[in-house]
Amino acid sequence: MTTASLRPRPLGDSAVSIVFGAERSAELLRRVHSAARALEAANIPHVDDIVPAYLALTVFYDPRHASYEEISATLLAACDRGTHSSARSPKSREHRIPVRYDGMDLEAVAISTGLSVEDVIARHSARAYTVDLLGFVPGFAYLSELDPSLHLPRRAQPRPRIAAGSVAIAAAQTAIYPLDTPGGWHIIGSTQTVMFDPTRDPPALLAPGDTARFERVP
Amino acid sequence: MITITRAPPYLTVQNGGRLHSRSFGVPRGGAMDTFAIRAVNAIVGNSVDAAALEWALGGGSVRFDRNCLFAIGGASARATLSGKGVAPCTTTYARAGEEFTVEQITSGRFLYLACDGGIDVPILLGSRSTYLPGHFGGYEGRMLRSGDSIALGARPTSLPAEGFHSAADLMPRYDSAIVHITSGTQNDLFDESAWRTLTESDYRISTASDRTGYKLEGPALGNSLGMLPSEAGCPGAIQIPGDGLPIALMADAPTIGGYPKIAVVSEADLPILAQRRPGESIRFQLITIEQSQRALKRRASDIHTISQLAARSSPDWRGIS
Repeated sequence: MTTASLRPRPLGDSAVSIVFGAERSAELLRRVHSAARALEAANIPHVDDIVPAYLALTVFYDPRHASYEEISATLLAACDRGTHSSARSPKSREHRIPVRYDGMDLEAVAISTGLSVEDVIARHSARAYTVDLLGFVPGFAYLSELDPSLHLPRRAQPRPRIAAGSVAIAAAQTAIYPLDTPGGWHIIGSTQTVMFDPTRDPPALLAPGDTARFERVP
Repeated sequence: MITITRAPPYLTVQNGGRLHSRSFGVPRGGAMDTFAIRAVNAIVGNSVDAAALEWALGGGSVRFDRNCLFAIGGASARATLSGKGVAPCTTTYARAGEEFTVEQITSGRFLYLACDGGIDVPILLGSRSTYLPGHFGGYEGRMLRSGDSIALGARPTSLPAEGFHSAADLMPRYDSAIVHITSGTQNDLFDESAWRTLTESDYRISTASDRTGYKLEGPALGNSLGMLPSEAGCPGAIQIPGDGLPIALMADAPTIGGYPKIAVVSEADLPILAQRRPGESIRFQLITIEQSQRALKRRASDIHTISQLAARSSPDWRGIS
């Protein structure tokens, strides 16, 4: 892949998104993360933060020292070098997350999917999930890929408050709410595992590329 | 130390926020009015990124437990020190034991109180800012309550003169109803008529507005684009949810989200939007990225000017700054 297929796009006056494609896929996400690592390693001056996502990565920079055109050109060149230098993937870790399947939506999920509660639990805890992204709130990890029989759209009315530690599903993904926040996912369980601790380094338990399994506990 | 003797409904410790932790999902956070907090710090001779108090929603009192040069700015308020009026953006000298009171915030939303030496709370993820949803940062990750005492940093060896005042022309035009925006984010998703609606209508700040985002009331940008694959957002990004009514993301906004974004508020004008109360109106005006960056540089240079003028006002000033 060359920079010809990458497209910069401003996100206001202090950030630029580098768009990798229009269709979400595991391969596209892998390329976004690999470019994000290359940019990280390149240590480009005046760059504050690099935020990977499904179709694009976004770079926050200091516009007092770099114009949009300058930073975009620098980033595209660095992405190009990065994808050609086969930047090493970081060592991914495997996590086991104990879950009590006591969520308030568990029965509703069983009804909507036509499965028994036991089946919902068995299918949710059978898989190893990949961490796609971190974001939304501190330590929130988007985990893929949920068993197709459990796919449900988000709730029409998001709840104003979901308790920290809630284990939830929506569409093809599952996640753990690291802190009390509004949310529209279906709550199927809870965990005591601390997903985010600002005094820890790194502060988030999960990192993109890691895998996580849910272990049922009574 | 300063002690909160009568806490207002909202009082937190803030500074410029967290600029290097977004990849962990940590929002920038920090002061809602990033200009005012830097200005009041500059006025009292602090580093512009020192921590200060962010004060909103009503009156209250704090007591200075040591001698302290302080200044207030951002929102306008009727404020006193031991009964005598306190002018905005002006250094005031408080003796240990004196009480500072905000009787009422008269216009704007967020008032900043900077003390010489800054507020000394632990630095977490590169910042002293309070992130209330995550219960971390600032003072024990929470709002300040009556009876709390917070430490101040060491006093600078040289302080600006008492009564030093920052000129009004160095401040943003808080009374302006115009808020500049830039485009380019997801242009392809919005047609000409959506753009016309956004830039030719008045939008009112809804009561559903807080540190995370300001919901705007006015003509809907008639479409329902639904959700897109999650992508980075930022304070100032204007997103369009299903009902077509814009939400301007603010300091504590999620790092990524799936709503389409039509524009981003110019960083230089974000303080003007932040200081708007529910019921007040604004009008968006499109400028280029280059113009927006120029405006931001001007703000930075204005803050630098305030710092220099403050240093020169010092009785100890020897012509070096």
